[in-house]
Amino acid sequence: MSGSVDRRAVLTGAAATALVIPVAVVATRNAATLAVASTSGTATASTTQPPGAALGAYLQIDSANNVKLFIGPSEMGQGIMTGLGQLVAEELMLNWSQLSVEHATATAASPNPFANPMFGAQITGGSTSIRGWYIPLRTAAAKARDMLFAAAEAATPGGGWQLASGGKVTNGVTTFNFSDLVAAAAKLTPPSSVTLATTRNVIGKRLHRTDIPAKVDGSAVFGIDVQIPGMVFASVIHCPTSGGIVASMPSSQNGATLINLGDAVGVIATNTWSAMNAAQSLASAIKWTLPTNLASRDSVQILATAQSLLTSTTVTPRIYESVGGIDPAAALGQATTKIDATYNLPYLAHACMEVLNCTAVVTPTSAEIWAPTQGQAMCFPTIMGITGLPASAISVHTTYLGGGLGRKIEQDYISQAVKIAKQIGKPVKLVWSRKQDFQNDKYRPCASIRVQAGADAAGNITALLYRNVSPSINIQRNTTPGNNPEDTGAVAGAVGLPYAIANRRIEFVPNPADIPLGYWRSVGESYNTFAVESAIDELALAMGKDPVALRRSLLTSANPRLLGVLNAVDKLSGWSTTAPPKGSARGVAILSGFGSYIGLVAEISGSATSIRVNKMFCAIDCGVAINPDSIEAQVQGGIAHGLSAALWGQVTFASGIPNVTNFSNYRVLRRAEMPAVSVAIVPSTEAPGGVGETGVPCVAPAVANAFAKLTGVRVRTLPFFPGATMSDG
Amino acid sequence: MMVPVSTTLTLNVNGVNRTATVSDTGMPLLWVLRDILGLTGTKYGCGIEICGACTVLVNGQAEKSCVMDVGSAVGKPIMTVEGLAVDPDGQKAQAAWIANQVPQCGYCQPGMLMVTVGAMKAGHHGASIGSENSNVCVCGTYQRINQAVQGL
Ligand code: FES
Ligand code: FES
Repeated sequence: MSGSVDRRAVLTGAAATALVIPVAVVATRNAATLAVASTSGTATASTTQPPGAALGAYLQIDSANNVKLFIGPSEMGQGIMTGLGQLVAEELMLNWSQLSVEHATATAASPNPFANPMFGAQITGGSTSIRGWYIPLRTAAAKARDMLFAAAEAATPGGGWQLASGGKVTNGVTTFNFSDLVAAAAKLTPPSSVTLATTRNVIGKRLHRTDIPAKVDGSAVFGIDVQIPGMVFASVIHCPTSGGIVASMPSSQNGATLINLGDAVGVIATNTWSAMNAAQSLASAIKWTLPTNLASRDSVQILATAQSLLTSTTVTPRIYESVGGIDPAAALGQATTKIDATYNLPYLAHACMEVLNCTAVVTPTSAEIWAPTQGQAMCFPTIMGITGLPASAISVHTTYLGGGLGRKIEQDYISQAVKIAKQIGKPVKLVWSRKQDFQNDKYRPCASIRVQAGADAAGNITALLYRNVSPSINIQRNTTPGNNPEDTGAVAGAVGLPYAIANRRIEFVPNPADIPLGYWRSVGESYNTFAVESAIDELALAMGKDPVALRRSLLTSANPRLLGVLNAVDKLSGWSTTAPPKGSARGVAILSGFGSYIGLVAEISGSATSIRVNKMFCAIDCGVAINPDSIEAQVQGGIAHGLSAALWGQVTFASGIPNVTNFSNYRVLRRAEMPAVSVAIVPSTEAPGGVGETGVPCVAPAVANAFAKLTGVRVRTLPFFPGATMSDG
Repeated sequence: MMVPVSTTLTLNVNGVNRTATVSDTGMPLLWVLRDILGLTGTKYGCGIEICGACTVLVNGQAEKSCVMDVGSAVGKPIMTVEGLAVDPDGQKAQAAWIANQVPQCGYCQPGMLMVTVGAMKAGHHGASIGSENSNVCVCGTYQRINQAVQGL
């Protein structure tokens, strides 16, 4: 790893004093590289770090007793730097101002101390970062604490060492700063077991986020902001038809160098604007080989296929859950109240505020990238495959992400930057145009879902037959090969429902569409929860029951935490006590997912052609709330994201050509449309649950349920307002 | 094919005169700031004057720099997010953003701040600051932006 380390040390000017010993609980490794872990992802030569000694993989303490925490998860807006920082500050009794938090540079260390404990690989997704690190990071900090105690004892025997606030170790007689002890402590063998702090002076507090000062003065370095001496600027143009590859291309365009990237052409210029313009102007000069089966890339065809698979009796569905002694189809025959509803949801784009980009430096002996990535673990095989270099010659620097939303797990943009850098032999910053970003997304799968459900005369729900027809991410990626590959993600939010429904069968039929798919904030729940929570509402109306009361009756004993949030949001919204304002109506939806429980009530006004979402009431039980302010922010943001999708989000394809080009035809929520969001965090001592995605799935069904109440019209096809546009309002 | 002719321009950015050599005076100010002057706080979001991520002040007025020819900014004071810390209105806005913990990913926030400071300079205060802000924030920080401008 010498090549890349040397280079980075030179570029960052970081002092590489690293006496590093492993105390990582997840894994141990020779962490010599960590002492130069780049902080902000920039390679600008002005970055200087005070010399600091590392204590394990995660902590570095400088001579002024400032503590730096290196983390594996990517900061993409969710506040993970702050959340993980609070865990460490609690354990080590740090002053909040004494702690800074940075992305660790990902290297080939194996095992990797920065691997997500829930995945075993360094990936940020699935709302797993706090869940995964809650115990391991506190354990690592507690080990560091005990080693500091041992170093204090070695220096001044006497026993009775404990922490004092502000990064100190004391026994009442002698007091040390951590910085006095770190060099000696780092030489000790980490203890095999530790006792975690039980104080709650930092965990649970609304501390200010560590990353916000840099996000209000322009100094935060996102991937798109990385600057490397001598770098050139690149952009790309892909085939306008999804799945097309380059057949022939010119060798240059207006002086810009062109590079064949297989499914795209890379354009190198002296600035991003010239590169984007040259890329766009190539549209007619490049000849593309189109994919053969355009029907499987056409929205009309895809939807027609879905509708026939929904009702097909000849196709063999994958059955992901089968509960009860009676075939649900037979139970349906006995039911006195029935619904049979089909819900359709579109492909969605991620539309991260920061377009895809990656900066790469490739030499014959090393490769280094700076990227807004959620998928460091995958960057290594990507880069190895292109460069032929061993993993030990590769470094991956994580910058701030201007939104990730699942899109930045992907490797397409990483791979392009590395290919270009390798071919031209210069540092390169690749930035996609917004149009390329929209048109070459890995889209949230479309889904068509049929729900048949029935209740008996006593009001018990006796049957649920659920069929989801959607393109499968796993099948498309061959991630679970075989004749019957699994895609449990496709039915997430539909299996294991918390409701007491006697006989149910959850079926999945893959739609063989070929539009590229990806993970979109809240994944399977983003469509299944719409179908489930709309259907429960339809059933309540058919049974003449109040939608909250019906849900409550179906939850009683089985799921106290979900019942808890239902009751909390009932109270918060005044559902059972106060009528909504005249001309308004409310709708409810609930979800158990991502390790958390959420209840949402939407209050809307308007008409069948135009609605206003005035208020959103949310109760969330996410276990121990590490930072309630961050949780509220994630719920507010999740609701905004869910509303954009529910009201307007849709990508359609005409023989493989996407209809969206920019925010002009992919409308998203703006300030004036933001509802007033109230959040109640249900107190809990349970292990933390996920928060980043949890706020999204209930939005669409809560609004649709309110809309049905307001207008009498049931919206089963999203978005509410297809074809919406947006201008510079 | 047009032969690019390099032109050297002087831009007054955050109170400092900076020279930038461009091959086309039609190059948007956004890319001159980012790629030539290395001031990367101003962001690219859409390039078609919708999202507002690229907002800067020119002559004290909020402008979308992705569609403003750099040539037309010559001779006029330009303020970017990097200049807020030395501007009284900018300082107030930054403090309000921190007090209300507005940013999530933070990518849209330079634009949000510049639009806000532009409104302050146009004489708006409190809730009236919000009305011209149609900038896009995919993270959905709007509620906190509404709170933050209350005290300005
Ligand atoms: S980048 Fe200028 S308005 Fe979006
Ligand atoms: S804070 Fe992320 S886009 Fe606004």
